Order: sequence, then C-alpha cells, then structure tokens
Amino acid sequence: MRPGLAGRLSRALVACHPRRWRERYGEEMLEVLDQHHPTARTVVSLAASAVSARLDPAWRTGRLSLPRLRRAALISAAVAAPLALVLGPVGYGMWQDSYWHPAADEPLETAAFSPHKGIMVTAFGEAIDGMDMVWDVTDLSRPQRLSQFEGGQPMALSPDGRTVATIAYSGQAALWNVADPRRPVKMTTLSDGDGSKLEELAFSPDGQILATARYDRIFLWDMASPARPRLLRALDAPVTSPAGDGPIPFSQQDLAFSPGGTILASATGTDQVTLWNVTDPAHAYRMATIDGAGDFIQAFAFSPRRKLLAAVTFHGTVLVYSLTDPARPARTATVRGLLTRALYPSGSPQPEETPLCATCQPASYAVAFTPDGHTLTVVVDREEMSANSGRDTIFDWHVTGSGTLGAVTAAARDVADFQPVIAPGDRFVLGSPPGSHAWHAWALP
Amino acid sequence: MRGTSDRPGRFAEPWLLVLTSLADGPKHGYAIMTDIAAFSGITMEPGTLYGALSRLERRGWVRPPAGRRTPPPL
Repeated sequence: MRPGLAGRLSRALVACHPRRWRERYGEEMLEVLDQHHPTARTVVSLAASAVSARLDPAWRTGRLSLPRLRRAALISAAVAAPLALVLGPVGYGMWQDSYWHPAADEPLETAAFSPHKGIMVTAFGEAIDGMDMVWDVTDLSRPQRLSQFEGGQPMALSPDGRTVATIAYSGQAALWNVADPRRPVKMTTLSDGDGSKLEELAFSPDGQILATARYDRIFLWDMASPARPRLLRALDAPVTSPAGDGPIPFSQQDLAFSPGGTILASATGTDQVTLWNVTDPAHAYRMATIDGAGDFIQAFAFSPRRKLLAAVTFHGTVLVYSLTDPARPARTATVRGLLTRALYPSGSPQPEETPLCATCQPASYAVAFTPDGHTLTVVVDREEMSANSGRDTIFDWHVTGSGTLGAVTAAARDVADFQPVIAPGDRFVLGSPPGSHAWHAWALP
Repeated sequence: MRGTSDRPGRFAEPWLLVLTSLADGPKHGYAIMTDIAAFSGITMEPGTLYGALSRLERRGWVRPPAGRRTPPPL
C-alpha cells in the first residue's frame, strides 16, 4: 500500500472511533500519525482498534433516550422519504416488469402440432413480442400447458416434436429444443445475412429441411443437426402487393411442403403460388408457377393423399390444382364468393350488418384437407366492424378423385373466432378471442 | 535455535510493553512507540498502542499528564 494512501486511510480510521474515545485520544493519535510512517499494518491496527472501541460499552456516548430516538427517527425519515420517492416508482416498475407478459393482450397468431407426440405449440403476439407456449394436447378436452418461452412467432414444429422454429426479435429464425417440453432451450439463431423481416417457416415432412421465407427470398436449411443448421440454398421468390390501393394481406409469404417432401409451395408474385422442386434441396429450382385467378393467395394446403393443392385467395375464392404433373399444374376447381357467403348467409346484407371498411383486411383463412383427402375444409374468419372481432365460418366440400369439388357439404357458422388454425391430421380448429391468451378448439363436423 | 531467541515472546503483551516503557517517566505516544522498538525490537502500531493505553488508563495503572483532557463522565 502506498504511504500516502495508508496515511489517509489511517486518519479516516481515527475518525471512525467513538466520539468519547476521539475526545480523549484522537488528537494524540493524529500527532503520532504525523510522526509515524503509516503502512498497511497501521491501517489494520487502527481498523481493529476502531471496531474494538465501538464494541466497548465504556466508550458509548450515553444511554438511548426518547428524545434521541425521536431525533434519530426524524433524521431517518428525512433521508428515507426522498429515497422512497425516487426508488419507489423504480422498484414498482421492476416488480411489474417481473410479471410483464410480452404478448398479454395479443390473441393466438398461429399454432404448430406434433400429432405423434400430442404436443402443440401456440404463438401469441407479433414477432417483436411473441410468446410461445408448449401444450400437451394428448387429451384435447384437458390441455395442459407445459412451458412457455419468449421465442417470437410465427413458428413451426418439427415432425418429431423436438424442435421449434420461431422468428426471433432479431428477425432471424431461432431454433428451440423442446425434446423436454417442460424445459425449452434455445439452440441457435439462423443467420442468412438478410436484414429484412422473416415471414414464414416450415419443416419438411421428414424434418430434414427447414424452409424460411423473407419478403422476396426463401432459404433452405439442412436440419440434420438442429443445433448447427447449414444453409443449403437461397431462392428468389418475390412477393409484391396487389395492384391498386386495396388492402395488403397481413401474411405476405406462406410456405408448405408436399406430403412427400419433394415440392415446396410458396406464395409469390401478386397472385401466384410457385412450386419448387426440393428433391435435392441444395439444387432446388422453380418447377412451376400457378396463377391465382387475379387475387392474392392467402393460404394453401397440399392434399395428404392425392396430388392436389388447394388455395384460398384474399377475397375468398377457393382454387384447387392437380399436381399430377407438378411442372404443369392444372386448375380443377374454382369456387368464388366464399367471403360473401360467410358474411351474408341469407344472400344479401342485412340492415344490421355493417359493411366492411374499404381498407380493412376482409378475412383470414385456414385451409386443409382431411387425412383421407376426401374433404376440403376452409375456415373463413370474417371481420365484422359491428362485432369488433372476427367470427369464423367453416365450409366443407367433397373432393373428387380428379380434384373437382362437389357442393358444400357443411357450413358451420360462428364456431370459432379470430385467426383460425386447422390442426393437420386432426379434425379440430383453433381460435382465440382477442384480448386474451385463451384459445378454443372446436371439433370439425 | 529454540530457547536462545532474543524476542520477548509472551512478554510482548502490548500493555506490558507500554508499562515497561512508562516505568522511567511520562512519554508521548510516539515516544512510547520508539522506546518499545528500541528495547524490544517490536514495532507497535498506533492502534495497538492506544488500545493498550486506554485499558491501562481505565484500570488506573497509568494516568494522563496534568492538563490532558479526559473524557467527560458517562
């Protein structure tokens, strides 16, 4: 210890002695320190002396009395009050933060399923504040929440139920290990070098490929080692807004793998679905582009049994394409006016039904085939200004072997609400009322 | 070698060293320290010295010189 520092510390320690002790020996000791050359030993001896004197009752300054206590209390209050004024709001904020829920007011955005393990992952909120929850849905009538994590959204669950892909705060895809669904662990963040917002994620049916879509590009990742994914291919797949001043869909990119995992479908162009041959993902190429009948493709799904692709457009047109020759898709069915039928079941607007605003999102859609491929289900979540929320209408069609659609076999109304999700392979649809984390599951007819 | 050391051993109790130093007359604190160092070879730090002095003074074995302030009565 430097002499100067030891000297200053020694003098400070003299001041640490009890007042009565200082009155008797303080002056002497300071004189000694002036002549002495204080060292670290001096500092230690003075510290021990100060502690010893403080503990010695002989050096205490009088007994505690009520006036002294009152004075001490007043001084304490004078010090504590400003501190409480400053620290109180900060502490309250920290306490609130510990209970803060990033997506407390956000409804269900999407859900991913692992039917073989009875695991479902739901995502609430936008990418910036998305909250993911892992559920045990082995018994759907009694779902159990196993865990939750702030992973962003939307997300995809690998077919083996061990890996969840989300859109992290950074805009990149993040991979979470949910092999133990009660303890999700973040494995890695994918970096494709693109700064734009990630839109969609999809696992191939065998879980070996993860497709991630940005506004105008699709990336294919080798998922052989989920903790260390390898970028295999980047595909140019531009999506542009519909012409004119009309509303722009919320989801501007969508992805789906064919049941065999050889075809990846993505929404591209203004009204198109592009089919990519991903048999060899490292050399994936554009195989065909499907015309969307002049309307933006909002959702699509492959038939699990037949070589069919069904799509629903922004304004409620259902399209079915035969992929018998994937390079030359042929449209086999077109059903128009689905949104109008959902909005006005009686055929025309009723007086109490408020028309949609011109720039509102007209509806959200979910589309899926039944596991046997015989039925096509489309859920229309129609936005109603009067209800201030969406109400779902579900349509079912019988699908013929050639891909044409029969008459509507079922149309259920108001069975769900807001942002529907159809569980693949299972006959239920999820919906979530706005302003809560609740979700409802309805068995499809 | 054991038994032949010049160090004071158990006679190095601070109060004993202080009393020994004051045996030949009153001294100031720093003078006590240098005296102890001279006759015993022990460097007594101020904290140790005044801890011993305060105990001796309380027992009445030493007293401050005339004119030196004493602590007010409890």
